[in-house]
Amino acid sequence: MKKPKILLTLLTLTVLLLAACNGEKETAEPEKAQAATKDGKTEVVFWHAMNGQLEEVVDDLVADFNEQQDDITVKAVFQGTYEEAITKFNTVAGTKDAPTVMQVFEVGTKYMIDSGKIEPVQKFIDADNYDTSKWEKNITNYYNVDGVQYSMPFNSSTPVLIYNKDAFKKAGLDTEKPPATYEELKTAAKALTTGDQYGFSVLNYGWFIEELIAAQGGLFVNEDNGRAGNATEAVFNGKEGQEVFQLISDMYKDKTFYNSGQNWDDIRAAFQSGKIAMYLDSSAGVRDIVEQSPFDVGTGYLPVPEQSEWEGVVIGGASLWMANGIEDAQQQAAWEFMKYLTSPEVQATWHVNTGYFAINTDAYDQDIVKSEWEKYPQLKVTVDQLGDTKTSIATQGALIPVFPEARQKVVGAMESLYQGADPKEALDQAAKATNDALEMANRKK
Amino acid sequence: MIAVKDRLRAEPKSRWRFPVTLEGMLYLLPSIVLFAVFLFYPMFKTIYLSLFLTDAQGNAQIFVGLEHYSQLLSSPSFRASLKATVLFVLYTVPAGVILALGLALLANQKLKGIGFFRTLFSSTMGMSVAASSVIWLFIYNPAIGIANTIMTTLGLQEMQWLLNPDTALISVAIPTIWMNTGFSFLILLGGLHNIDASLYESGKIAGVSDFYSLRKITLPLLSPTLLFIVTVSLINSFQTFGQIDILTKGGPMESTNVIVYSIFKDAFVNFNIGSASAQAVLLFAFILIVTILQFKWSEKKVHYQ
Repeated sequence: MKKPKILLTLLTLTVLLLAACNGEKETAEPEKAQAATKDGKTEVVFWHAMNGQLEEVVDDLVADFNEQQDDITVKAVFQGTYEEAITKFNTVAGTKDAPTVMQVFEVGTKYMIDSGKIEPVQKFIDADNYDTSKWEKNITNYYNVDGVQYSMPFNSSTPVLIYNKDAFKKAGLDTEKPPATYEELKTAAKALTTGDQYGFSVLNYGWFIEELIAAQGGLFVNEDNGRAGNATEAVFNGKEGQEVFQLISDMYKDKTFYNSGQNWDDIRAAFQSGKIAMYLDSSAGVRDIVEQSPFDVGTGYLPVPEQSEWEGVVIGGASLWMANGIEDAQQQAAWEFMKYLTSPEVQATWHVNTGYFAINTDAYDQDIVKSEWEKYPQLKVTVDQLGDTKTSIATQGALIPVFPEARQKVVGAMESLYQGADPKEALDQAAKATNDALEMANRKK
Repeated sequence: MIAVKDRLRAEPKSRWRFPVTLEGMLYLLPSIVLFAVFLFYPMFKTIYLSLFLTDAQGNAQIFVGLEHYSQLLSSPSFRASLKATVLFVLYTVPAGVILALGLALLANQKLKGIGFFRTLFSSTMGMSVAASSVIWLFIYNPAIGIANTIMTTLGLQEMQWLLNPDTALISVAIPTIWMNTGFSFLILLGGLHNIDASLYESGKIAGVSDFYSLRKITLPLLSPTLLFIVTVSLINSFQTFGQIDILTKGGPMESTNVIVYSIFKDAFVNFNIGSASAQAVLLFAFILIVTILQFKWSEKKVHYQ
């Protein structure tokens, strides 16, 4: 009689264990997105990747929105970096756990469109007769595919040239005239390279290479940068790309270019500690750099080769996507929240507190922006650079499903330059690897 | 076991009885369920997915057979990953174990205040990988890090530790050794405590040198502990992720792109779940072979009391 008892105990234990597993699931239930909260408000879950000081600004904006009206509660949830957030989104997309509004980085655009888990915001723009004429076209165009506005731009930035004015003075250069061409850049870098200080640096990050190519009007992939159809071939190894790689290679050999790795903090620390006198950074980082550097900081447009026409910059950053397959009331509430975020007042606060662009150009007329620009004239340069950008396929930016992978290949090619690789060969190799990735992605369709 | 056998013999065949295997299975049920859910299912799913192209959510879409495998085996990038992984293991395991053994031998002396040193030597055990990696990130920072400050004070050239493909892997290996030493040290010290002191006394009476008693008494009796530490370090080393992610992200030029990191990147950055699964299967086969070899070898060398 002893054995059945043990068996029974074991069975009970197993059942208990399974029950415990279920229990966990149940406790997780209230976290899920529900159409309506207890007080009858519609809940909008907003996933974002803004950390540190940016998260505080987002939380403030959300809190203001929740206070302003009585029908909608927005819940902002930080989900890690852009990559982490999009991975999490992937696992829950199309289920009840999916967020209503999702922030996705610019290179995830094609990927989100192809995912089929999103509702283009165009639908709400049309239904609402929403006036988009105040939007900065150079920003919204990126997220506009075949005339359909897929997502709402939120935090947008572009690269800018940042330089140390004190070092310029010491080297006898004009502090108000940053280099605009590769030749000027080389000359300036040479004059600035003294002892411990290097003239110029670019972060080993694919985005900067894309931007330097686009600034000359060059494309990244075929099919009109992937906007006329699915891109099948990388073209960043063309003339424009070679110019960029040749410049880095030449300057590195000349010892006027400093390799600062892949880490944003590292390159900023190098600039602030006087290791480098000029570098490329995101416009969203300008305010912090100006504030924290122990010297005068200037900003300038992206340089291009002498013979090239300056086309402008491609918008970077992230946009907000609306989930599909959820209740209409929720989508409507999410749309209200998006409209609030793009209002001039909110955009002005956003621009001033973060350095990201205002997507609503009216924001620049707000008083807080004007007074901020007086304090930080460097910020205005970034906005002007975007305003001066010519609208073209190049500056609209590429649309490919395998952007992260393409960037890794470009970074690898960039790193091989410091080992003395031939610029053209390095680029060709990266282009070939990108082609393979594109082919694989196109097969899945 | 004997009781079960007795019952088998005692009970007449005609009578129905609870099948013994089934009964045994029932005892194992809790662990079988747990293993099945958390180990076997994911394992078979990984093998299954490695034969497919998947969508971003990891659903199998197009059957491609062994294409992922053939592509991986012919890809220079995967071969670089293999090489980085093997090198990384070679850099970290022997150095880490020898360092920990040396510290354990030192800390095994009966001296005043030795407790302080024992705490000190094992302190890295309490550090998280993320926190220590960030500390080392600052140490290695080419512009403001202390590593270069030391180099210049010594009159040497400044180095780009993590940015040079030739030094990056070693620069990641050093923090790894530092992090793992605490744990190895503690286990080895425990092993040393277990060695019977009378053996050393006999050795002293016989007049053998310290080195001789280390070789003939300490190491043989410590060998089971050493085997454990080597195995654990080896597996840890194969699975290194945190420090790579924080220090180098697999770069520069894939010189630190060990297989586990490459799997992560393929699956969660590039969303090629199929290819990532194939890499995981290959890594599994690889570790399996190494572990079998290790146990084959250790059967001869390890001395169990």
